[in-house]
Amino acid sequence: MKVAYFSPLPPEPSGVADYSAHLLPALERRIEVKVARRGAHRSPRRCDLALYHVGNNADAHGWIVEALRRRPGLVVLHDVVLHHLVAEMTIGQGDNDGYLEAMQVEGGVVGRLLAHGVIDGLLPPFWAERPEDFPLTMAVVGPATGIIVHSQYALDRLRQLGFERRIWRIPMPAWPVSAPEPPPAGEKLVIGCFGHMNTAKRVPQLLEAFAALRRGLPEARLVLAGSASPALEVEGTIARLSLEEAVTRRGYLDEPELWRLIGEADIIVNLRSPTMGETSGMVVRALSLGKPLVVSDVGWFAELPDEVAAKVPVDEREVERLKGVLARLAGDSALRAKMSAAAAGFARTEHDLERVADLYLAAIEEAAGTDDVEHAVLHDVARAAAETGMGPDAAELGEVAARLREAGLGRGRSRAS
Amino acid sequence: MRIVVCHPQVPFARGGAEILADNLVEELRRRDHEAELVTVPFKWYPPKSVVTQSLVWRMLDLEDVQGGPVDLLIATKFPSYVVRHPNKIVWLVHQFRQAYDLDRTVLGEFGEEPFDRAARRAVHRVDQATLSEARRLFAISGNVADRLESSLGLKAEVLRPPPQRLDYRCDEYGDFVLSVGRLDRAKRVDLLLEAAAADDGLRVVVVGEGPDRERLEGLARELHLDGRVSFTGRLGDEALADHYARCLAVFYAPVDEDFGFVPYEAFLSEKPVVTTRDAGGPLEVVEDRRTGVVSEPTPGGVAEALSWLAANPDQARAQGRLGKAEAERLTWDATIERLLGA
Repeated sequence: MKVAYFSPLPPEPSGVADYSAHLLPALERRIEVKVARRGAHRSPRRCDLALYHVGNNADAHGWIVEALRRRPGLVVLHDVVLHHLVAEMTIGQGDNDGYLEAMQVEGGVVGRLLAHGVIDGLLPPFWAERPEDFPLTMAVVGPATGIIVHSQYALDRLRQLGFERRIWRIPMPAWPVSAPEPPPAGEKLVIGCFGHMNTAKRVPQLLEAFAALRRGLPEARLVLAGSASPALEVEGTIARLSLEEAVTRRGYLDEPELWRLIGEADIIVNLRSPTMGETSGMVVRALSLGKPLVVSDVGWFAELPDEVAAKVPVDEREVERLKGVLARLAGDSALRAKMSAAAAGFARTEHDLERVADLYLAAIEEAAGTDDVEHAVLHDVARAAAETGMGPDAAELGEVAARLREAGLGRGRSRAS
Repeated sequence: MRIVVCHPQVPFARGGAEILADNLVEELRRRDHEAELVTVPFKWYPPKSVVTQSLVWRMLDLEDVQGGPVDLLIATKFPSYVVRHPNKIVWLVHQFRQAYDLDRTVLGEFGEEPFDRAARRAVHRVDQATLSEARRLFAISGNVADRLESSLGLKAEVLRPPPQRLDYRCDEYGDFVLSVGRLDRAKRVDLLLEAAAADDGLRVVVVGEGPDRERLEGLARELHLDGRVSFTGRLGDEALADHYARCLAVFYAPVDEDFGFVPYEAFLSEKPVVTTRDAGGPLEVVEDRRTGVVSEPTPGGVAEALSWLAANPDQARAQGRLGKAEAERLTWDATIERLLGA
C-alpha cells in the first residue's frame, strides 16, 4: 500500500510541521509514504489513500484543504474548531460568499445572517470572539472518509457536530528524550510556560497567579517563552504586576533552546480556554521530559491522568486556584518527583512513538479498505437473504445488522485506540 | 449443567484442537454434565470469507436450546468465540494467526492490497469485540496467552489441556524416532527428515496425514532415506499408543506452536521429546536435558540431539520417566474444576 501524505513540514513554523517531522520516519518504516509537495492540490500518483493534516490555520493548511476537496481521504484533525481556517480561506481571499455558505451550512438562516453582520462590520468577527460557537468543522471535513483525532474530547465533539464516518483516536507521539536530573535542592523554583501566546493561553491569569505566589515565595521564577499576539500586552501586564525581575521573557525558540528551557523548569504550566479541541505539543514535550504539569481542566487537557497533571477549572476562582496549585507543588518536592515519574511513564506508554505509528498504520489500512470489506460481507449476507426469499426490508436483516455492529463490523462506530 | 462447546470444523482435517474439543465434551459428560459440541465449517479464503464466517457464528442463538437454557458456553478457537452467550467462556486454542504473527510470512493469508489489509484489521476488531465480552478468558498455553496480550491487550489465564486418553505405556526404547501430527509445513517434519539424512543410524516413523505429505515423501526420496523413513498415515488409538510405546524418542518441533499435545503424550509413554528453540508452546513443557532435548532448529542440531539419545538409552529412559511424572500432574478433574469454577 502507498499513502499520499499532506502536511506542513519544517522549516515551516507550525506545530503540525514538527509533529509530522517526528512521526514520518516511524510511519515510513511501516508503509510506503509519498509526501505531497507543499501547495500541491493533487494527490501523488498511484496512492491507495491520501492522508491530510488539517489545523486551524490557512497559511499552513489551506492548500491541504483544497487537495482534500479534490480527493476525499483520511483527515488528521489537529483542531476541532476550524472557524479561523475557513474565514481565512473565504473572507481572507475575498470570497465572502464562501463564508456565508459555510455559516449557513452550520447555522442555517441565522448563521448566514450573522455572517452578513460580520462581513458588514456590524458584528465582531466570530473567529476572534466566539469561534467555538460556530466551529465550521463540517464545512472542511465533509469529504473526509475518516478522521484521526488525538483525544476523546475531539472525538466526542466531532460526533456532536454530526460526523458519522469512522474516527480513530491516536495520541500525539512523545519525543524520545530522557528526563534531565532534577535541580539540586535549594535551587530557585522555576515555572515554565512555552508556546505561542494568545488569549486562549490565559497568560494574564498565569501572571496574576504567579504574582500572588511570589508574595509567599519571592525567589520563584517564571520563564515565559514564545511569540505573543500584540493585543495580549504581555510586557505591559508583567510591568503592571512588577514582575520584571522574576519573569524571563523569551520569544520564539528553536528546538534545542526550547528543550533546554523546558528541561530547566521545575513545573510546566499550560492553560487553555476556550479550547479548539487541540492537543498541545508543548504539553507532550513536557511529558517526554517528565515534568510536573499544571493545565486547565478542559478538553484534551482534562483527559491527562491526575497523577501527571494538576488541573485548574476555568472559572471565577481560576487565579486563586492556580496560585494554590503552584504553591502546593512549589512546597512539595516529593510530589513533584512523583508527578515527574508518572509523566515520563505516561509518555513512554500512551504516547510512545512506535505505538502511535502502529495505530496510524491500523487507521490507514482500515480507512483504505474497510468499506470494500464490509460491502463484500454485506453482499454475501444479502445474497443469502435473497436466495432464501427475504426482501431488503425483511426484519431478519435488522438482526444481521445488529450482529455486525456487535462484532465490530457495523457502520457509524467510533474507534477509540 | 447444560454446556455447549463451540469449535469450528475444517472438513477433512483433524488435529489436536479437534481432539481437545471432543475430549472436553466427553470429560464433561463423564462428570454428569449435559454437554454438546457445536461446530460450523470454517473456510479462511478468500480473505472476506474469514469475516463473513465469523458473522455466521454471531448469528447463532445458543442461549437456549429445545426449550431449556444453555447454562454455559465454552468457545475454543477463531471464529467460534464470536458466538454470543451471556455466560461465554473462551478457552483459547488460537486466534486466526494469519491475521497476527503469521501475517507477511510464508504461512500468511492476507496480501498487500487495501482489501486484504482491511480484512485483516476487521479480524482484529472482531476479536477485540467478541473476546473482551467473554466472562472469562483462558488460553491453552503461555504462548497463546502472550500472543493474545501482545496483539489485543487482553489477558488470559493459562490452562493447559490434558492429552487424549490412550493406552499409554512404555514397552521399549526402540530403534526409531516418532513424529506425530498433521502433515503441514508449519509442523516442520522436514527438519526430522534432513536430520535423518545427516545421521544414517536414525530411523523415522511419521504418523499423520495432511497436505504436505506428498512433498515430504518426495523429500525422503530425494534424501535417499528409503527404508529408514515410513509414513503410516493417520493411526487408530491402539496403533498410535503402540508406536509411542515402542519408539526411542518423539520429535515435535513446529514453528511457534500454540501448545501441542504430542509432548505430553510422549511423556505419558515415558519417552523424551526432541524439540527446537523456536517451537513455542512445547518449550513450556519440554525442559532441556531433563525431559527431552531442546536443539537448534537445524537438521544438524536435531540430528545431534537424536543421536545423543540413541547413544544414551539410559538418559532417554530417565528423561521419559521425569516427563511422565510431569504429565500425570495434568488432570481433567483439575482442568474442568477451573473451567466450571470460573
